[in-house]
Amino acid sequence: MLKESILYESVGELAKRIESKQFSPVELTEAYLERSQKFGPRLNAYARLMPVEALDQARAAEKDIHRGHYRGPLHGIPYAAKDLLAVKGVQTTWGAKPFAEQVFDYNATVIEHLKNVGAVLLGKASMIELAGGLGYSYASASLQGETRNPWDTSCWTCGSSSGSGAIVAAGLAGFAIGTETWGSILCPSAFCGVSGFRPTYGRVSRRGAMALSYSLDKIGPMARSAEDCTRIFAAIAGHDPLDRSTLPVDRAAFTYSPAADLKRHGLRVGWLANVWKEYEPGVAKAIQAAHKILPRHFASVKDAALPEGPWEEVAGVILQAEVASSFGELIRSGRVKELHDPQGRVGGYANLTVSGGDYTTAQRVREILQKKMDALFETYDVLATATLPAPAFPLTMSLDKGFSSPDPLGAIGNLCGLPALSVPCGFTEKNLPVGLQFVGRAGDDAAVLQAGQTFQHATEWHRKHPNLR
Amino acid sequence: MNNSKGLKINRREFARGAALLSAAMVPAGIAFNEPPAAASNSQLPEDAEKLSAESRVEAEARFQQIMSQYGSRFDSEEQKSVRDSCYGLQRSLERLRAFPLENGAAPAVYLKPLLEREEKPQSAPAAGAAPTAAAKKP
Repeated sequence: MLKESILYESVGELAKRIESKQFSPVELTEAYLERSQKFGPRLNAYARLMPVEALDQARAAEKDIHRGHYRGPLHGIPYAAKDLLAVKGVQTTWGAKPFAEQVFDYNATVIEHLKNVGAVLLGKASMIELAGGLGYSYASASLQGETRNPWDTSCWTCGSSSGSGAIVAAGLAGFAIGTETWGSILCPSAFCGVSGFRPTYGRVSRRGAMALSYSLDKIGPMARSAEDCTRIFAAIAGHDPLDRSTLPVDRAAFTYSPAADLKRHGLRVGWLANVWKEYEPGVAKAIQAAHKILPRHFASVKDAALPEGPWEEVAGVILQAEVASSFGELIRSGRVKELHDPQGRVGGYANLTVSGGDYTTAQRVREILQKKMDALFETYDVLATATLPAPAFPLTMSLDKGFSSPDPLGAIGNLCGLPALSVPCGFTEKNLPVGLQFVGRAGDDAAVLQAGQTFQHATEWHRKHPNLR
Repeated sequence: MNNSKGLKINRREFARGAALLSAAMVPAGIAFNEPPAAASNSQLPEDAEKLSAESRVEAEARFQQIMSQYGSRFDSEEQKSVRDSCYGLQRSLERLRAFPLENGAAPAVYLKPLLEREEKPQSAPAAGAAPTAAAKKP
């Protein structure tokens, strides 16, 4: 059986070992399956493990590699997919009781892309019901129950990609796929101390993914390093004729090229000092330390400020109107009552009352705000600040209390479809991870990923892992 | 030629119909701008104080609209939650509507015409029929 430390290695490191035949995809899959069977239930990390299918895929990968058909760094690497991505013939619950028996007869495009590069699907990661689109107040808002944070199992992982965060942090798979409408990749990445990447809107096909908000939903990787995110993003990005929201071929595709990335000119960082109203002291300390080291590794680091909003209001109205469309039938039929969270059962009704006029006004303001943000990126390549002002909070705490601070950057990033990456940058006194986020111009995913890699070349935070027993 | 003639309405009729429809959806007291009977000040959510008088009326109308359609589904705690969300939404709308917009400011999303049909293979033309423009494409 493989050592625990190997299971925490990055995709890049695992890939080298597989390519050089130090161990096989089957051995690696068996090791992750055993660990997932041991810790998965304790953390509520999986909606479903798929051992039979995973071992079949691993054996196929092994055979391919043995024949000399190595397909690249994801070949034979086990991963988990958030349970809102369709996998042919397997239950896809969207984390919600009304969809508990739902089975699709096709794979989501992201699953197909990963299959094509030989990645091994280990299972479906647990998630917040309907990705939290109808509102929720507690970590328990999931068909699978609350997901526990591997760093402190009395704390939450954040959502809605809860299981994806726990799986990567606990070393249960090589990487995971999450989705974000507003904070659902970045927040679990920060709370769980992993690297999570939200691509530019339209670069990754959403075909086969649960639609929550058509103009806000994105799919991205959660992994153990920014470099891993880059590799995974290269595999899943691209135009999809079956998803009309994807960008054209030349603007959606992304090529992984480590040498080219590192040769790129140094990045200009805009440091957002006043995004968060207040910081929890442990987070403030870690963020200040991160801020101090940036000038040594980036071309420039200057204080920046966000343009005037109203960011959260516009994002909120658009989200509510689009959710009223995507889940209108669930609300009107009354089946929404089957959701677990008390807020989720009633939160969608107000959405039904958003008028077409207000939705259109929000879209008009959005256009203006997008231009304002684009102008800011004339001065900076990336913006940086804490991913969140507080670390993971207790499972029983209400989200109103846990997320009491306004989140303008989350609203901006998602409203404008901007790429963002959260990387670990330290720990609080209670040994809970702290995240640093980089946000880039729409389409400049490479700058954001390069910023994360640069930071991780200078730090070791991403190599820390929890001590699960 | 036009078999939908009977369904045709002009813009003025459409607008009048829409106005009548929206008036019908709002409880009478609200429509005439009277304070809603259901909401005493002690029941109002915290957000109510931050809203203008017009917005409070609108938020309450939203709530009443939901209650008139789905009220039997909620217990008192849930009703409070629905009312809170109506007032929360209203706060966002108030700020959104206060944003200065020029008449020509277009929305962020734009129509992406469905052109795929031009790339799809056409059904076989009848003998002697001229090839379509799409069929001539390489």
